[in-house]
Amino acid sequence: MSSFNLFDAEEKSLEQAEDLRRRLEQAPGPVRDGIASLIEAYSRSVREQRRLVRVSDRLQAQLASVNQELGKRKAEAEDALESLKAAQESLVQAEKLASLGALVGGVAHEINTPVGIALSCASHLADSTAAIAKLFEADDISVDDFERFMATVKDTTGLILSNVERAAELIRSFKQVAVDRTSSERRRFDLAAYIRETLASLGPHLRQAGHAVRLACPDGIVMDSYPGALSQVLGNFIMNSLVHGFDPGQLGTLSITVEQEEAGSVRLVYADDGKGVPEDHLGRIFDPFFTTRRGSGGSGLGLHIVYNLVTGPLGGSVAAESPEGGGTVFTLSMPLSP
Amino acid sequence: MDNLKIAATERSPAVDFDFAAGRLSLKGESYPEDASAVFGPIFAALEAFLGAARGREVTFDFDLTYFNSSSAKALMNMFQMLDQSADAGCRLTVNWFYAADDDTMKEFGEDFCEDLSHVTFNLVSVE
Repeated sequence: MSSFNLFDAEEKSLEQAEDLRRRLEQAPGPVRDGIASLIEAYSRSVREQRRLVRVSDRLQAQLASVNQELGKRKAEAEDALESLKAAQESLVQAEKLASLGALVGGVAHEINTPVGIALSCASHLADSTAAIAKLFEADDISVDDFERFMATVKDTTGLILSNVERAAELIRSFKQVAVDRTSSERRRFDLAAYIRETLASLGPHLRQAGHAVRLACPDGIVMDSYPGALSQVLGNFIMNSLVHGFDPGQLGTLSITVEQEEAGSVRLVYADDGKGVPEDHLGRIFDPFFTTRRGSGGSGLGLHIVYNLVTGPLGGSVAAESPEGGGTVFTLSMPLSP
Repeated sequence: MDNLKIAATERSPAVDFDFAAGRLSLKGESYPEDASAVFGPIFAALEAFLGAARGREVTFDFDLTYFNSSSAKALMNMFQMLDQSADAGCRLTVNWFYAADDDTMKEFGEDFCEDLSHVTFNLVSVE
């Protein structure tokens, strides 16, 4: 077996041409010169073809190794992306827990007030009762004393009742919201009532900031969805307004407007009339870790969680705008039953 | 004659020449460092087979995803050899397979069939 040659056919043609040239030795000069220059040109062409094949082989080998390297790098980048996603996921979980922690803190603060009032009323009532009992035992009780005591009893029991009722109501709201936040359970709930409960659970933050809160939601919209997710979304909108929306000391209005334009879905518009969001931040506002407050404890995850909850469990969409006149508007569309 | 079966390597195609059945195939990538080491045995076997293939029905499948210039030159030599033996009476069909999204490989097939006048050449798109 002769060794393989890519240009076997060309070389055979060249040999035949040389042969022809030898046999044409008697031919006229111009014919011999013509044949010689044709052979020379063909032989150069074959040499050049060989060179071209070598050159492009080399380039293609290079290309192949670059491609391999590229594939390797791509795999590495994909691995890195995977672990970043995992890290992000755990940070999101941590942030959820942290916001639950803040909720618990708020609950404690909020319940402290009515319980404190009830306690001091009860203590005042006990003192008054002891005093009137003493007068009664000494048989030294006047009609005036008794009337004053009766007034005290009426006032304090009224205050105790209303404050304990307030505390009970708060506990009921908090319990619902906290349970919903920790569990991702689906259930049927009245939208307006649930938004009110959520606002109540954010009461301490809202009162501290001093902004007005307006809720416009038709009664009787019943959702079969994930209330915990909705509560967290609203909470994050509100905390976002409180932290970023206003300059210190500036008072504004937060509003939640719910409209039902078509059966089966609902549109919730959350707006504040604060400073608004710069144009170049709007496009990144839902990106994970996007924050303008890294130094002061912003995680950059609040609105990312909103985005995940809305597009995930709630099965809807969310968009952010910052209108000309100022303020920030989040528009949330979601099905009543995702 | 003996069938020729060579496993693919990273840089050379799988060779499966079933001479008894008249089915030949090259499959894979081809950018060997030494073209003659890869194509030498292929040409030797092919030459011997085609020399005695007059009147036979032969199908040759090319299912290549990448090849370099030496391999392209070898393929052109191979097509010339196939066309000559088709001219001499071998009923030869060439199937040129290409991935549906690989326009380059499809165009190579179109280029290669330009010089073929006796072989039945099919371009076969693979999803």
